[in-house]
Amino acid sequence: MERRKFLGLGVALFAASVVPASLMAEDFRKSKPNAWTTKNPADKKGESLDGVNAAIKELFGTDKVEVGNVKLKAPDIAENGAVIPVTVKSDKATKIAIFQSANPEALVAVFDVPKNGIPEYSMRIKMSQTGTVVAVAQIDGKLYKAEKVVKVTIGGCGG
Amino acid sequence: MRIKAKLKDGVTTAKVMAKHPMMSYDEAKKKKKEANFITHITAKVGDEVVYDASTSQFLSKNPYIKFAFKGENKGKELVITWVDLSGKSKTGKKKIK
Repeated sequence: MERRKFLGLGVALFAASVVPASLMAEDFRKSKPNAWTTKNPADKKGESLDGVNAAIKELFGTDKVEVGNVKLKAPDIAENGAVIPVTVKSDKATKIAIFQSANPEALVAVFDVPKNGIPEYSMRIKMSQTGTVVAVAQIDGKLYKAEKVVKVTIGGCGG
Repeated sequence: MRIKAKLKDGVTTAKVMAKHPMMSYDEAKKKKKEANFITHITAKVGDEVVYDASTSQFLSKNPYIKFAFKGENKGKELVITWVDLSGKSKTGKKKIK
């Protein structure tokens, strides 16, 4: 009896996952790993911006930041530290990053603004204690920021 | 994930709620579980990336995000993809209205 073997091997090779990298914007977790592990000083109860400034340097390569050109909205008092609504807006920004001084690590998120993207983002973050939220925007190679102190009554990191 | 995408005056506003425990390292230690949280979220319309966020353990559980982008995209599909620390990935799609 004749046996026909259908060689499906070719098909199996194509089944391996291929992610089209053609139009992937930058994944900052991969390109700037140290920025994500930069710590806030544990003993300063959220009052020191040293960790934030160090994380800014890790992410952007400089800690030279001017105040302005960034609008940051966050509540004065967060009743629930696990869900704090934050909105950041900065016209002409090509990158926007959010930091805070309250949690063990300083960096929260980085937005890479694509060609037709509008640099205005909303998200909900966690803060384990009262601290300062800092939004940094990169515009024409320069860094600008806005800061907002958020008082946290019930800590939001499982505390 | 839940996605809303509305086009008005050439701008699409998208609201996305992803389902994810977003367990931080500290939370994981307390609960004796593995830390796991979304690390990257992208949104595309066709081949075009319209949103790109690298994220941390400090986004709230079941992350909610809102963003907007320009373009005459009525009827096109908005595709949201997230990847988490464990390497798992999830994709959601919604037609822009």
